[in-house]
This record gives sequence, structure tokens and C-alpha cells, in this order.
Amino acid sequence: MNAISGPARNAGRAASASLGVVQIRWLGALLVCAQLPQAPHLPLWIAAFGLLLVGLRLALLRRDRLRPDAPPARIPSWTLVLFAIAAALAVRASYGYLLGRDPSVAFLFILVGIKFLETRTVRDGTLLVALASFLLVTPFFRSQSPFAALAALPALLVLGATLDALARTPASRLARTPAEALRRTARMTFQGIPIAAVLFVLFPRIATPLWGVPAEAGAQSGLADTMAPGSISELSLSDAVAFRVDFDGVVPLPAQRYWRGPVLGRFDGREWSLMPRPGLGKLAPWTPTGISYAVTLEPHGKPWLFALDLPASLPRPHGDAADARAENYAFLTPDQQLIAHTPITQVLRYTQLSVLRQSYLPADPDEGRDYLRLPARTNPRTLALGRELRASNEGDRAVVDAAIAWFRAAPFVYTLTPPLLDRDPVDEFLFETRRGFCEHYAGAFAMMMRAAGIPARVVTGYQGGEVNPQGLYLIVRQSDAHAWTEVLVDGAWRRIDPTAVVAPSRIELGLSRAVAAGEPVPLFARLDGGWLKNAQLTFDALNHAWRRHLVGFNRDRQRELWRDLAIDRYAGWQIAAIAGALGLAWAAILLAATGVARARREREQALWHEACKRLASAGLPRLAHEGPIAYAARASRRWPQFAIAFVAIAESYAALRYGPPPARPGEREALVATLARAVDVLPPPGELRTAAA
Amino acid sequence: MGVATHTRGPGAWSRARQRFFRHEPADGERLILRHSRIYILPSRRGWTMLGTLAIMLLTSVNYALSLGFAVTFLLGGLVAAALLHAFRNLAGIEIRPLAASETFAGGRIAFTLSLSGGERTREAVELRAVGAEPVVADVAGGTAVTLRIERPAPTRGRLALGRVTLSSTQPLGLWHAWSYVHFPLAGIVYPEPEPGAPPLPRGAHGQDLTAPGQGEESEFAGLRDYHPGDPPQRVAWKAVARGAGWYTKEFDGAGGGGPVTLDWTILPSALDVETRLARLTAWVLAAERAARPFALRVPGGMLPVANDRNHRRAALTMLAMFPAEDAV
Repeated sequence: MNAISGPARNAGRAASASLGVVQIRWLGALLVCAQLPQAPHLPLWIAAFGLLLVGLRLALLRRDRLRPDAPPARIPSWTLVLFAIAAALAVRASYGYLLGRDPSVAFLFILVGIKFLETRTVRDGTLLVALASFLLVTPFFRSQSPFAALAALPALLVLGATLDALARTPASRLARTPAEALRRTARMTFQGIPIAAVLFVLFPRIATPLWGVPAEAGAQSGLADTMAPGSISELSLSDAVAFRVDFDGVVPLPAQRYWRGPVLGRFDGREWSLMPRPGLGKLAPWTPTGISYAVTLEPHGKPWLFALDLPASLPRPHGDAADARAENYAFLTPDQQLIAHTPITQVLRYTQLSVLRQSYLPADPDEGRDYLRLPARTNPRTLALGRELRASNEGDRAVVDAAIAWFRAAPFVYTLTPPLLDRDPVDEFLFETRRGFCEHYAGAFAMMMRAAGIPARVVTGYQGGEVNPQGLYLIVRQSDAHAWTEVLVDGAWRRIDPTAVVAPSRIELGLSRAVAAGEPVPLFARLDGGWLKNAQLTFDALNHAWRRHLVGFNRDRQRELWRDLAIDRYAGWQIAAIAGALGLAWAAILLAATGVARARREREQALWHEACKRLASAGLPRLAHEGPIAYAARASRRWPQFAIAFVAIAESYAALRYGPPPARPGEREALVATLARAVDVLPPPGELRTAAA
Repeated sequence: MGVATHTRGPGAWSRARQRFFRHEPADGERLILRHSRIYILPSRRGWTMLGTLAIMLLTSVNYALSLGFAVTFLLGGLVAAALLHAFRNLAGIEIRPLAASETFAGGRIAFTLSLSGGERTREAVELRAVGAEPVVADVAGGTAVTLRIERPAPTRGRLALGRVTLSSTQPLGLWHAWSYVHFPLAGIVYPEPEPGAPPLPRGAHGQDLTAPGQGEESEFAGLRDYHPGDPPQRVAWKAVARGAGWYTKEFDGAGGGGPVTLDWTILPSALDVETRLARLTAWVLAAERAARPFALRVPGGMLPVANDRNHRRAALTMLAMFPAEDAV
């Protein structure tokens, strides 16, 4: 009965205890440490408000301590409920909705502050620790960079120290300085790392989310399914990494690095958009000049997968041996676009084969018709130019060449900051402003081709990328986003990049060399950064490793690792058993490492047992109630010739076991040595038996 | 006490019960807590933390947050390490039963136990017995701590300490580690002296005893050191209040007198067993106050005339252990 009521009663008593000043301070420190990594991802007012509430409580605490005679500052609970409701409404107004991941995190951020204001009992403290623990995870919704991981560490340590402070009872007098408490937690966290590592490796990852795909996942930057003037130049302002590529063998030349993304076939006079067509595309046949590489794709919330023109295989998620799964994972559209079945919401690593070529297999005879449509009554001058090109040239190929020549001849300027285009944007661009970015050239060229009766479409994706000498891999950033054109000539699609005509250096050397000085090229897209650029490349190499091995540790990477560890053939319960066994081994090692002192203490016990065993087999077992001295006396009566040894054994053992703690250092060791010597001189049982006879 | 046969029963169930729950006093003079008798379960805070970890894990699974997994598992490792430390906080503690005090029914029996923890410091170890306020103490490394558990003693007889639960939630308060120890430690609860008992009976040999018999009329003789179990009305409370320490007032029986025999049979036959015992107890105390030697005679027992401290204790113990009415 006591077993059941005891702990429960204990917990109830502890819960009603009120918090001491030290405990409240630790809680405040924990909340600040847990809030700070989250704060940059929140609207400013929410971040400030949440932190302010925690600061307010700490300030009140200080006031109470400075004026102990004044009644302690108390905020009535009902105002806090009003606070919470007001905060919820404000969060809703700020985000537009409340039941979602990000507004919930924002609300939680404020809620911990409100709860902290009225925290009085140890039980409230426990609740706050639980909420703060959860806040440790929420910043990772936004960023899983090494910095985000570092930012979580202080809170992790303070969390342990706060638990330690909450567990202090007034009866326990062993006071601890904050530094001691932190050291202690750090030691325990350190001891727990093996367990964390085992769980990290062995806890099964799943491929699909448990509940609905987070709606906010699409907030990442990346290529969209439409292209209007300005959309790609806007993307080019971002330094963010789109994906990284490890090549098997030689890295292709910059001019060959066309990373194929969304293919846009529908045009409304201003905007190009996807034109879904039924059926599946045919993969390019594999040739000896094909290349193999692995792409580590950052999540972008869309289903696009990127491959060098032209893909010769479906992407195979890294570490997956079964070829059959590649079809389950992604497919190829008729316009040679790789589409995953689910949006990319986590870092994805896949291997891919490509054949580097500029033209395709023969297309279906009727395929071209869909790529000729143009909206009526828009961009009339471009339409006229197209008709004129058709009229003055013999054959499709000559028309295309004439159009390219026209682009080369006209005074176009390649710029990141083109003027705004109003009605008939293609006309305005081609005949008036003549300043534009790749989307302007690709869009205008495709329209011109259609006007000339040649099927054309726009392909968006990335072009180029930067080889990181620190890791020998290719970094492709959002600033490498690009758009080019494909035309259907002589029964096959061919790639035409009008940007390469206007600004060849964009394709050969990258964005920063292609635009004029003073253009807002992102810092890391510039090539001439000196030491800063080097540092950045080193950092990116670390970041790449971090993303590949830690952040990208998904189901496939896990299976791969399991295969390396030769445990992939085991069933789930067997893996769990392995984890359990490792946990037990960890406990045993930890206890053994800290239990050496105990073993030393037990040496006298072993010696005493040895002596008792010898006497027992000589026919004089120790009686259950008999102490060492009495036993030695009995043995001395039986074998008076060994009385000295018996007495020495009994007295040294009794002194070690029952005596007062030794006064001088070394005294204990001396007693153990005496005991050992005395047991040593004790004759073996056979001799004792004959001596008795 | 009637369950003593229980342990000797061959039933595997009762043996297991005893092994796990220590319902019988089976521990000897001295005991070192070994791993096999330390139990650990999450405390309430531990359950809260485990629940939070589960939510964090679910979140990490759903949003595929590798760092979420990492933080969750690091916290999990901390919780696991706390379990081992909670275990270590109790493992190897040495407990010795020291003594049990005596008191009169209605008082409290104090049991003293000594704890020592070897080289390591043991934090916030709680001792709890049925019906007693729990006692919490830290045991610094290399020292021994003497702890006192007081149990109320409502009825006369033997009062066993019973099973003691040693527990601790250190270091982080996430795990409740406990162990049962059951020493054969028992205190004697004397019958409560009858209030307003009649004066001492006449001397055995017919002398008219001049002693008034009532303690209130005795003369104050001096102070001696307080011993646990001294009746509260004889404690020198003024000295206590002054902070001078605990003393017990001693009285000289005014006029003294010869030996007296306190005989069960001379009591009015209308009295029941408990009242007789209460009256005899009051008389033993009165005789002591009056410094008169006395003999005690109860059915099935007899103490010859004497008047020292041991005699008094023997007499009170005899009265305390007198079989209950239904047993007579």
C-alpha cells in the first residue's frame, strides 16, 4: 500500500511547494535561451512581446527582493487569460489564420511568457520546462543550419540545470552555484550522447509525413510554375543554395551545365506557364559520353527535380538499390521534365544519369501544334516580325538562324534591373527598352518563333554553378536561375539560348561577369571575393557535409547506413533489441566507470569470504548469528596453533567493516593489507583437517 | 506479528512478495543497498518530460527535422543519464538500525537509523515509514548521518518501525528511485497512566504508609538529563523555553516510605484490563516519584521489590506487553 501511496503523496507535496527565487531565475534563463533562437523567425512584435513578458517577471522578482516588506507583485490569473486571448487574436491578425504551424509557434512563444508571469508553484515550473523543451525544436522548422544547432545548445544545458534547481528541496542543504549546476548537467548530457547517437541512427525514419503536408513548406525560394518578366531576375538576387552536385568523374564545362527544370508551354501574352500533357516521356538513350552524378536538393516545396539536359534515367533516391523504386518516386513528362510524386519538403539526395546534348529524339509529328498557340491581339509588332522572318527565309532552320542573327544585331543589354514593361511586354522589350534578363530573352524568342510558325517553348532551370575546390562539388545557387528556349526544327527539339547570344559571358563565366558593374549581384555569386570568397567556399563545404550527413539523414540515408552496418536485413523488433542491448551496455559501462571505488571497498569482503570458506570446508562453518570475533574465538579453540591468524583476520575485518571511518589516510589500506596477509598464512582446508585430528 | 508464519510459508508467491516488497522484517543489523532492491520509476515530472519528448519526436517525424531528432534524443540521453544517477544516488548506501525509544500510549516513538554513503555524497535521501513524517537528509561523502523517524504510538504494546522506504528523486527530479528496508526495530509503548488514579495502596506489611502518593504533592528534588520517553509533564519546560536544554524534573517522595506491592488482584474487580493496566502504570510512576521500592504482580508475572531505573522499565514493559483483554 505504501508503495503506491508513497510516491504519489510525495509528488503531490512537491507540486504544491512554491518556487524559490533561484528556481524562478533558472526558469527565466531557460525561457530566454529557448526563445532567442526562435525570435528571428517571428514577426518583430511577437518576438519582442514574448521576451518582454519574461523580462517583466524577472524585473518584478528583483523588485520583490529589493523591497521584501512590500506585498509581492501578483498578477491576477484572469488578466492572464485575457492576455492569452488578446495574444491569440493578435497572432491571427498577423498571420491571417491561427491553426497552422507558424502561428501556433508564435502563440506558444507568447504563451510561455504569460505562463511565466503567473508561475508560482513547482508544478508550474515543470510545465514551463516542458513548453521550453518544445520550443527547442520549433526553430528547426525554418532553418536546420549549423547555427540553428549551436543556438539550441545553451537552452539544452540550462534546461538540465533548471530541472536540477526544481528538484532541490528545502531539506537538502547542498547548495550549488550556477556554474556547478551547468557543469553537472553538461556532464550528464555528455554521458547521454551515446544513447542519443544510437537513437539517432536506429530510430526509424519515415518517407512521408504522419499528418497533412505542412502548408507553409512552399515558402522556400525556388523556380515557380510560371514565368513573367521579372520573376527570374528577382530569384537571381538570392544567394541561397538551390542544390549541390557531386559528379562521378569530370565536371562538365560551364556551357554544358543546363539544369532542366519546369518546362513552360503556355503563353498568355505576358506570362509563360506549365502546359501539362498526358503520357510519359522517353528517356534519352545512354551513351558512353553520359555522366553520372548525385544531386543534394534543398527543399523548395515544389515537385521539380533537376537534371542536366538531357536526363538519361529517373532520379534514384540515394542509397536505394532497388531499381523498381525509381518509378515509384518520380516520372518524366513528355516535355522531358522530371517530376517527383510528392513536393520536395526535405533535403533530398538522388543519383542521376544524363547525356549532354542539345537536341532530342524525333518528336511526335503532331506534338508541335500545341506549341504554336499565341494569344490574339497582343504584341502585334513581334507577331509581324515573326511573319516577316518566315516570309524572307527558306526552311525552319534558316528562320531560326535569322532570328538569332536579329538578336545579335540589335543593341540588347543584359541586366538584372530591366525597366518595367506595361502592355504588350514582348513588343516593348524587343523594340523599345531592349534591356532585359534571361526570362525576357527566352520569352521573346519563343514568342517570335511561334509567330514564325515554329513550335517553341520556354525551359526554366539553372545554368552553370560554381565548383567548390574545397570539396570538389558543384554549388548551384538561386542566382544561377536561368531560362532558355527550345524549338522544334526538323522533327526534333533543339535548345536555343538567346541569352548566350546577347551575353555569352553569362553562360561561360556566370552572372557576375555578364552584367555591368554596379548591378545588384548577390555577394556570393561574384567570383572575385578574395579571402572572403575562400572562407565562404570553405564554409559551404562544411555546410554541404552537414546537410548531406546530418540534416539529410532521411529514410534513404538511414537505410544506406544500416546496409553499411550490415543490420538492414533485420526486422524492426530486432533493431529495437539491438538498441536495447546497446542501452544496457551503455548503462553497464557508465556504472562500472563510476563504480571503481566500490570494488576497492569490497576487497575486504572477498578476503573474509575466502577465510570463511576455508574454515567451512575444514569442518567449522560460521554460524548465521556469529560475528567475526566470536567466530575467530571458536576457530582458535579448535586450532590454537593458528589463533594469531584467526584473530588478525577477524579484528582487521571487523575494523574495516564495522569500525569508525579511518582517521588517517592509508590506515584503511594498511588494514586491508593485514587482512590479506593473515588470510595468506591460513593453511589450506586439508591441512587444517589433519591438524585438528 | 501474527504474520510471522507468512515468510516461512513455502509459497513462491509469498516469497516473491517478500523479496519485492519486504513486508516482513528480514534485514539484519546493517544493510548495504544493492542494485537488486532498488526500484526506479519516472516521477510525475519525469512523466511530463517523457510526454514532452514524445511530442517533440512526433513533430520531428512529421516535419522530417533531423535536428529535431538530434535535440530530442540528446534530451533523451540526459533523461537516461539521470536514471543512472538516480540509481547511483541510492546504490551502496549503508543503513544501520540504531535504536527505538519508549513512550507512553499517546506519545511518539522515535526510531533512529544511521545512513552512510561511502565516498559519494548522497543527495536528498528521504526516509518514510507508515504513519511517520518523512525525513529528508543529505549524506555527505565519508560521513554518517543519524536520522530520527517518529511514529505516533496510540496503543500500548510493541510498536515496530515496520517497513521503511528509502527514496530519492535526485539528481534531476525525473526519476523516483526507492528501496524497501525492514529492520526488526521496535519500541515499547507503555500503557497511558490513569489520570487521577487513586493513591498508592498500603504497604505490604500493613504499615500505614504516610506517603500521599500523588506526584503533585511530592517535593521537587532536582533536574536530570532528559531521556526520550520521560513523561511530558515532568519535562522542565521552562528550561527548554529558555533554550537551556532538555531536563527532566525529579521529585522526592515526601516522607518516603516502605516497599509497596502493586498487585493486580487488589484492584476492584469491576475494572477492565486496560483500566487496571493504566492504574498500575500510574502507581509505578507514583512509586518512582515517591522513591518507594515496589513489587509488581500481574497474572502470569511477578517482579520482586526494587526501586532502580531498570526495575521501573521492567515493570512498565511488563504492563505494556500484558496480553490484551480478549486474550486473557
